[in-house]
Amino acid sequence: MFLRLVADSFARRPRRKLLTAAALSLGMAVVTAAFSVSLDVGDRLAREFRSLGANLVVTPEADSLPLEIGGVDYRPVNVGAYLPETDLPKVKTVFWHNNIMAFAPVLELQARALPLPASQWIESVSVVGTWADHAVPLPDGGTFHTGIAKTNPWWQIEGAWFTDNARECVIGAALARKNNLKIGDLISLATGATTRIPSPLKVTGIFSSGGPEDEAVVVPLSVAQELAHEPGQYRKLYVSALTKPEDDFGRRDPATMNREDLERWICTPYISAIAYSLKETLPGTDVRVIRRVAEGEGVILKRVQALLWLVTLAALLAAALAVGASSAASVIERRSEIALMKALGAGSGTVGFLLATEQLLLAFIGGGLGYALGTLLARAVGQKIFGAAPEASLLVLAVVLVLAACVTLLGSALPLRRAARYEPAPILRGE
Amino acid sequence: MAGQISQNRQMFWRITRRMLGAHRGRLFVVLLALGAGAAVTAALLNLRIDARRRLTSEFRAFGPNVLVLPKNVSATNGETLPEAIAKAVPAEASNGHVSKVAVLYVVASISTTRPGKSISAVIAGTSPLAFLRIVGSVKGEHPSVPSATGRECVVGENAAHQLSSEKNPELELDKAELTLTSGARRETCEVASFRQLGGPEDDRIEIGLRAAQRLADLPGRISVLELIVPGTPSEIQTYIANLQRTLPDAEVRPVRQFTEGEAKIYTKISGLLTVTVAVVLLLTSLCVMAAMTNVAMERKNDVGLMKAIGGATRRVVRLFLAEAAVLGLAGGLLGAAAGILLSIWLGKQVFGVAAEPRFIVYPVAVVLTVLVAILSAFPLRRLASVRPASVFRGEA
Repeated sequence: MFLRLVADSFARRPRRKLLTAAALSLGMAVVTAAFSVSLDVGDRLAREFRSLGANLVVTPEADSLPLEIGGVDYRPVNVGAYLPETDLPKVKTVFWHNNIMAFAPVLELQARALPLPASQWIESVSVVGTWADHAVPLPDGGTFHTGIAKTNPWWQIEGAWFTDNARECVIGAALARKNNLKIGDLISLATGATTRIPSPLKVTGIFSSGGPEDEAVVVPLSVAQELAHEPGQYRKLYVSALTKPEDDFGRRDPATMNREDLERWICTPYISAIAYSLKETLPGTDVRVIRRVAEGEGVILKRVQALLWLVTLAALLAAALAVGASSAASVIERRSEIALMKALGAGSGTVGFLLATEQLLLAFIGGGLGYALGTLLARAVGQKIFGAAPEASLLVLAVVLVLAACVTLLGSALPLRRAARYEPAPILRGE
Repeated sequence: MAGQISQNRQMFWRITRRMLGAHRGRLFVVLLALGAGAAVTAALLNLRIDARRRLTSEFRAFGPNVLVLPKNVSATNGETLPEAIAKAVPAEASNGHVSKVAVLYVVASISTTRPGKSISAVIAGTSPLAFLRIVGSVKGEHPSVPSATGRECVVGENAAHQLSSEKNPELELDKAELTLTSGARRETCEVASFRQLGGPEDDRIEIGLRAAQRLADLPGRISVLELIVPGTPSEIQTYIANLQRTLPDAEVRPVRQFTEGEAKIYTKISGLLTVTVAVVLLLTSLCVMAAMTNVAMERKNDVGLMKAIGGATRRVVRLFLAEAAVLGLAGGLLGAAAGILLSIWLGKQVFGVAAEPRFIVYPVAVVLTVLVAILSAFPLRRLASVRPASVFRGEA
C-alpha cells in the first residue's frame, strides 16, 4: 500500500515532480561542477606554474663562491668544483621521480668566438653548455626527454634547438644582432691560446630569453665540456618539480623530526622534501630551493584554491536554499492530501514517512542527474581552461547525493511539522 | 474613463498586496530562494572583480619584474647608470605603487676579524636595504631603518658558509665585523642578517649603496635599477614601453621568466574564475527559477477563481507578473546586500584584506534577481488554458 501510494504520487503529478527534480538536479549540478573544479585545480595550476621554470638548483657541495653578476659567472674555468654527468639519470630515480617535470645541467664558461667566414675574434663571449632535448635512460628501460627548453620555457627560439652531441649551437638574440649572425652561419669557439681555428659549430637557431643569456652562445653540453677541458662534468643542475605549497609542517627542519613525522614529511611533495631526496640521491651536492619561484607559487596556489572553495561553498548554499524552497513548496501544496490521509486514520508519523520517502526518491534521482550534468560542465571548464578534464570522482557523487538528501529533507521538514498539527476537518472544508 | 482606470489600478495593487500577504509561509520560502540567489550573485561578482586586483598583487611575491640597465651592458665593460635615473622612473603605475631598488655590484675580497679567512665575493650595494624583506625569507633581525652610511650588511647563506669554519655560521658571524677590500679602498660593515633565496643572492653580501659606491670608487653610479611594477601583464607591458620612451639612454627590460609565466598563469586563473562564476550563476538562477515555478504552479485555484469572476487571461497573468516582480525586488534588495557583506568577509578570509565592495554589483544583482523572478512566473501563461469549472470540481 505504501509503495503504491508513493508510485501513485509520482504518476499522478509528473509535471510537479519533474519541476522539483529539475530544481534539485540543477542545484546539484552547480555543486558538482564547482566541487570537481576545486578538487582538481591545485594539480592543474601547479603544472601551469612550471612555466616559471626551475624551482630547485643543484650545485657542488664543495664549490667556491660563484662570482655571478647579471647571470654571468666571472670565475675562471679552473676554479670551483664540478659534478659528474653520469649521475644525472639518478634524478629520475628519487622517491618523487614522477614529480620531476624537467631538469637540465649547465656548464658556463667564457670563450672567444669567431664567426665564419672569419673576420675577427669576438673576445669574452659567455658560452652555456646544456641539453636541448636529451633522452635520459630510465631504470625501467624507457627514456625521459628533458632539457633547457623545458626548464626555461620562457626562452623563445627562432629556428630550432641544436641536436645534442652534434656540432651545432644556438645564439642569443643580442649577440646575433651585434655581429650580424644568421641561422645557418658557422661559428668557432675557443678558450686559451689557439694556434688553429677549431672546427666550427652550425647556428641552428636564435633565441631570446629577455635576460643576460641573450648575449651568450648556447651549445651542447659535450661541446662546453670539451672547451672547458672538463669531460663529463657540469656545474649546475636546474630541476623543475611539481610541488605542494609548504605549510608550517613543511617548513620544519627534517633534522628535528621524529621517525613518524619524517616519514610523513618525506611522503608529501613539499619542495624541501624533494630537495632532501635529491640530495640523498646525488652525493656531494648542495640542493637549494629557488625561493623566488617556490614561495610565490605557493602563495598564489593557496589563494586560488581558497577562492574556488569559497565559490563552491557559495554555490552549495544557494543551491541548498533554492532546493529547500522547492521541496517546501511541494509539501505546502499538498495540504488537502495530507488532511485526507489523516482523516482516514493515518498518523502524523506515517504521513511524514510517506512524504519523506517521496522526497528522498526525488533527491536521489535529482542528485544523480545533477551529478552527471555537473561532471559534464566541469569537464567542459577543465578542457577549456587547462586542456585537460578533471577526473570524475566517486567522492563528489557521494557528497552530492548526501547533500541532496539532507537539503530536501530539511526543506520539507518545516512544512511537514506544520502538517502534523493540521486539523483535517477545516482543510477538507476548504478553509 | 480616467476614474475607471485609476480604480482598476487601485484594485490591481490591492489584489497584489493581498496575494503577497495571504500566505506567510509561501512568501518566506520564495524570498529565501530569491534572496539566496541574489546573495550568491552579488558575492561572486564582487569577489570576481576584486580577485583580479588581488592576484596581480600576489604576483609581486616573485620580486622584481622590470630591470633598468645601462645600454650595451656586456661581460667586459663595467657600464653603470647615474643614480639620478631612479628619480625619472614614475613612482605610480596605473595600478599602484612601483617599488624601486638601486643596486651597484662590486667584486671585493672579504675578511672577518679572525686572521686568515678571506674570500672573493660579489658585493651588492643596494638602496633601500630593507627591500629584502619583501622578496623572501630573511633570517634574523633586520635593520629596521635603512642606513645611509651602510654599516649593516646582509650575508647570503653560501657566502656565510665560505666565511665561517663552523657548521652553523650564523652563530659565529652574527654581529661580526667584515672588512671589504677592493684595490686600495676598504669598507667595514656589521653583519645584521642572513638570507637564503636560492638565487645568486645567496653568494653575495649586501651593503648600503653609498658604501658600495665608495668601495668601487663610482660615486653616484648604479649597475641596475630593479622595479616591482604592479598590475596585469598587459599593464606592465605598457609601463615598460612608456618607461623606455622616458629613458632613452638606458635599457628597460622585463624579467621575462616572471612576466611571461605570470601572464600565462594569470590568464588561466582569471579564465577559470570567470567560467566557474558564470557556470555557478547560470545554474543558480535556473535552480531558483525551477523552485519559483514550482511555487507558482500551486496558484491554479486563484487563477480559476479570477477567471470565473471575469478576469481576462492577460490581466490575470499581469497580476502574477507584478507579484513576481515585487517579490524579486524584495528578495534581490535583501539578498544582494547580504551577498556584498558576505563577499567582504570572504575576501578577508582568502586574501587577508577585506574585498572592497563595488557598488555597481548591487544594482546588477537586484536586476538579475527581478529578471529571474519574472521569468519564473512565465509558465503561469499556461494557466490561460485553465478552465475554471474543472479547477473547482477538483479535477486536474
